[in-house]
Amino acid sequence: MPRRFSMQLIMGIALTLLGAGVSVQVWLGGWTQVFAQGSSTVIRVAGSTTVLPIVSPAAERFQIRNPSVKITVNAGGSGVGIHGAGTRRLDIGLASREITPKENNRYASSQLNSIVIGRDAVACVVSSEIFNSGVHSLSKQQIGDIYLGKITNWQQVGGPDRSIIVIDKETHRGTRHVFMQYLFGKPNARAPGARLVTGSNNEEQAKIAQSDAAIGMLSMAWINDDVVGIGIRDGRQVIQPTLENVRSGSFPIARNLNLITAGNPVGAAKQFIDYLLSPEGQKIVEASGYISIHSPQAVSQVAGSHSK
Amino acid sequence: MNKHPMFSERGPAFWWTGFTALIASGTIFILFVSLVIESVPVFKAEGISFLWGTDWFAGEAYGALPMVFGSLVVTGLAVVIVLPFALGSAILTSEFLNGRLRLMVKAAMELLAGVPGIIYGLMGIALLTVWVRDVFGLIDGNTLFTAGLLLAVMILPTVMTLAEDALRAVPGEFRDTALSLGLTRMETVLKVVVPEALPGLAGAVFLGLGRAMGETIAVMLVIGGIDRIPQPWFNLFAPGQNIPSKIGREAAEALGFDVQWSALIALGLLLFVMVMTLTSAGNFLLGKAR
Repeated sequence: MPRRFSMQLIMGIALTLLGAGVSVQVWLGGWTQVFAQGSSTVIRVAGSTTVLPIVSPAAERFQIRNPSVKITVNAGGSGVGIHGAGTRRLDIGLASREITPKENNRYASSQLNSIVIGRDAVACVVSSEIFNSGVHSLSKQQIGDIYLGKITNWQQVGGPDRSIIVIDKETHRGTRHVFMQYLFGKPNARAPGARLVTGSNNEEQAKIAQSDAAIGMLSMAWINDDVVGIGIRDGRQVIQPTLENVRSGSFPIARNLNLITAGNPVGAAKQFIDYLLSPEGQKIVEASGYISIHSPQAVSQVAGSHSK
Repeated sequence: MNKHPMFSERGPAFWWTGFTALIASGTIFILFVSLVIESVPVFKAEGISFLWGTDWFAGEAYGALPMVFGSLVVTGLAVVIVLPFALGSAILTSEFLNGRLRLMVKAAMELLAGVPGIIYGLMGIALLTVWVRDVFGLIDGNTLFTAGLLLAVMILPTVMTLAEDALRAVPGEFRDTALSLGLTRMETVLKVVVPEALPGLAGAVFLGLGRAMGETIAVMLVIGGIDRIPQPWFNLFAPGQNIPSKIGREAAEALGFDVQWSALIALGLLLFVMVMTLTSAGNFLLGKAR
């Protein structure tokens, strides 16, 4: 089995570590601010590992232009981003899903506010060995049955005779919310068919790449040769997880990438958000593999069907 | 009042050291009390069945058994795997090596004991999961067994060095007498030295267990992360979850809120009690050995 994931594995572990570290970081957030107040302003950012690839390079560039501003960026997941903004441990929370009504109630006093900085899709992904053996698309029903444990062998969906390694995610993760909403109409649906639970995009990507029989859910920007996004089959039509299909609105599992603040952003945090919304910030969004908010709703949508 | 020599002079040195000692020993007390207080909400919500509930789904149900089960299984497994290696190398170093060679082995072991957990985790996810899968012909290598194996490697130096100390503590006359009575080297070790050092050896194992039980990141990366007791329960080649890994995965999201947070704290309390029991047992046995 060819293995090309060593680099991505190391990245994955580094980010997993970041994820584990974020709780401490968020705890201590209040203190870092106290210590750092003397010379510079600190913007504390953490949350979704889907939004992270946009915010990390943007933060670097922003800091070069504004040397008096320090931005700390951490992983953790959408739940962590929303929680951090709600408890004001973070200035900006990252979320690859919408705030749930429950979260809105919980942090009512913080007046949570979300700002869309880009768009993404959640693709259903499989190990490259499965893709190469001929499983290029699955229907919503099939994916659902796999996650419910009703389909347990790849043979049942046209693949090799091999058990399916179903990879689930931690329940607060944005990707999981969006995927489960699509499959079962409930962001917090259970997945009794799951075998492994992962956290960040990196961790999930690494485990799928390592396996030769895994299925999972992944932000579109994280798809690569080892972790292949498959099409969603609807009747005779197969919709591929491509940027065009997300732009046109035909790929069914799309989502907004959000920045979460408590109330309207002010000061340095506002400047940073404005930077992300500016043409230069939006270029970073596109360079990271996502869709700009300024991107016109594609002509194909008007034309009808762009999918093949 | 009788003046104990310890209290004879209450200068600044007494008060300062007394203060630091109070803080140090008070910390453990405060920690325990706050764990108990913060766990109350989950016991109110779930009742005592929190302890043996098998279902955990954030926001819906909280049952600790899969995590407690996972913790016990992986640490138990680690000890079973580590025991022959740790004892073997301890006996070799203490009974058959002397001088520089012995110090070199000890130094290497102590270096190994200082390797951070994440390094083991890295090796675990990159190599061990793949090996376990291929060697045992599994469909996936993230299992309770993998976690136990990784923990065995991690606690090997701790158990080995402490066991070696225990063996060394057996007075030389015991060996001389045994040898002069005509026992072979092997018999001397197995029938005289090891039985004599037994409390110390047991102490070494208990301290190793304590470390294994609390290990987080390395286990988190290879155990599978699913809150489920395998079917059947003794199937060690199935994925599972232990307490530190569960807390590591959910803490940042729950931080300070709701029953979920309380449930995680209660898991922490369970872990705390289990580790404390093991460590005290270990220290007691080691103390007895000296």
